[in-house]
Amino acid sequence: MISGTHPVRAEGSIRYSVLLLLEEETEGFAEFVRSLHGIFLERGQPFEILVVASGTEWFARKELESLENTRASTRILVMPRGTTQAISLKAALEETSGEILFVCGSYPQITSQSFAKLLDALDSDTDIVTPWRRHRVDPWISRVQSRLYNRLVGLLTGTKLRDLSCTVKVFRRQVLEETDLYGNLYRFLPIVAARKGFRTKEIPCDHLQERGRSGWYGFTEYFNRFLDILTVYFNTRFTRKPLRFFSMFGSGFLVVAAVITAYVFFQRVFLGRPIGGRSVLLLALLFAVLGVQTAGFGLLGEIIAFTHGRQKREYTIEKTI
Amino acid sequence: MSARLSIVVPLYNEEESVERLVAEVLRVAQSFPFEYELILVDDGSTDGTWEIIERLKESTPPLRAVRLRRNYGQTSAMVAGFEQARGEIIVTMDGDLQNDPADIPMLLEKIEEGFDIVSGWRRERKDPFSRVLPSRIANALISLTTGVRLHDYGCSLKAYRAECVRNLRAYGEMHRFFPALASMTGARITEIPVRHHPRRFGVSKYGFDRILKVFSDIFAMNLIIRFSSVPLKGFALCALPFVGLTLFFAILSILALVYDWTAGKALFFFIATALSAMAAVHLVLLGIIGELVVATSDLSHTRLPELTRRKIDIGNPPCAS
Repeated sequence: MISGTHPVRAEGSIRYSVLLLLEEETEGFAEFVRSLHGIFLERGQPFEILVVASGTEWFARKELESLENTRASTRILVMPRGTTQAISLKAALEETSGEILFVCGSYPQITSQSFAKLLDALDSDTDIVTPWRRHRVDPWISRVQSRLYNRLVGLLTGTKLRDLSCTVKVFRRQVLEETDLYGNLYRFLPIVAARKGFRTKEIPCDHLQERGRSGWYGFTEYFNRFLDILTVYFNTRFTRKPLRFFSMFGSGFLVVAAVITAYVFFQRVFLGRPIGGRSVLLLALLFAVLGVQTAGFGLLGEIIAFTHGRQKREYTIEKTI
Repeated sequence: MSARLSIVVPLYNEEESVERLVAEVLRVAQSFPFEYELILVDDGSTDGTWEIIERLKESTPPLRAVRLRRNYGQTSAMVAGFEQARGEIIVTMDGDLQNDPADIPMLLEKIEEGFDIVSGWRRERKDPFSRVLPSRIANALISLTTGVRLHDYGCSLKAYRAECVRNLRAYGEMHRFFPALASMTGARITEIPVRHHPRRFGVSKYGFDRILKVFSDIFAMNLIIRFSSVPLKGFALCALPFVGLTLFFAILSILALVYDWTAGKALFFFIATALSAMAAVHLVLLGIIGELVVATSDLSHTRLPELTRRKIDIGNPPCAS
């Protein structure tokens, strides 16, 4: 069945919505859907499976048609190729009604026992459950990189997690409804959601396989990851007070300028070295200009935050009595 | 219930103080000849604060409470309280019993006199010097730069006419700037000395890093108050020193050419002219982007003065009835 013709289901009747993000034609996809179907059948609670196919409509149809007994609970949501995960999920949210969303990629990254463990871990004190892949099967160089990456993000955003990059996540519907996700932010869902007060639990899981590249990644990958970190760092800390971010750098530049100038003047006054033609003063001027410009961008940021963000609530209310 | 007065108190891990606080407020409020409400905002406490509030709620009809989903900081907690408040006058105070509820009637008297905001002034602060000094400096700076002359912006004990703050939604960690920000609405502001008690329970929740941020915030606040309707003007003022520098270096460049100074000196002045001009031009361009940002906003912030408007009919004096 293609979504769009699908009637709105009664709220609350479905417990789990399983969202599979199918971004490229993946070998063994049908098998994965079948095994997920089995896992959820076993739990004995109503569920639905939605395959979000970004540019892989025909592949998804072909694979799912080969499965006989999953048809009743499986649908496909077709999105354009290259749709980011954040947008795919926001769209999927409107097409599903489960209280708990189970998101995964197009192949099992962790063992099926681990899937069950994740689902069990979502208790009343937890809003998001993410796997922490143990016994990683990818090369050591990937592990070292991913460790550094997780550490760095934890340090910058204040939400310390040990495994950010696994697509698999289990969370309450409310989490996705209330967080502003866009671009590449899905991978940082626990961090973005923490701003709204949602709590995340990491569960050790057995790593099964990793497809795509591992080891040393290409330049694009590192470049993208770096930009992601910058984005999430700014978004979690400075969207309300952008000048603080810019003044961190701007004041650094101004200090450099001041130090150079002081040095030149010190030499002039105490050592009698003439100032005229000291080219290092150009460097000082350059840094001063850089500092002022950086602060200027921060001020512009403040104006944007005030004029466009003032009406946005910063806090979320849990209860009122 | 339509209350005349709303007392908003943000609380964060104040289980030792909350009972006493409510008792003291109730004692003072007994003498009020009008309806009032006490709004406690639990800012994501991790101790028993919320349980105590729920218990107190049973026996205290004027008590209302909001629990935020996580710790958002005092400003957000206050804003959450403002949003719940139904009174025409809103009084805010600290949850740690350092403010004295017995001062509230004094604040109300000033409001009766016709002021829109009355700020408490802890003339004799009972805090360690290490906390008082940075606060003094910040106060002096805010007073000097924003044009709202108060001694003590950080004091939580304040009274507001509700319309002056309800639409303001101060953003970031800016509760000390409420009066300055509210001056955008044309509010009349005054201050009165209030009592201040040393901390009896718990620990003070301010860190040293806050102090550094305050300076960045003061800068931002000034821009917002003075230039959020005319950003180009703000940026052009920042550009003026660089225009001066450009002229200065340009004249030196011409002199260098005319009097045939050494090539090194001439080059120095050329580059310095170019750098300064670049800074000036970029700042003006940023200001123009600022105009774009303001023009594409909903312009609500430019209409803040309407909040305090009042009409006086000279020709038709009110009839005695």
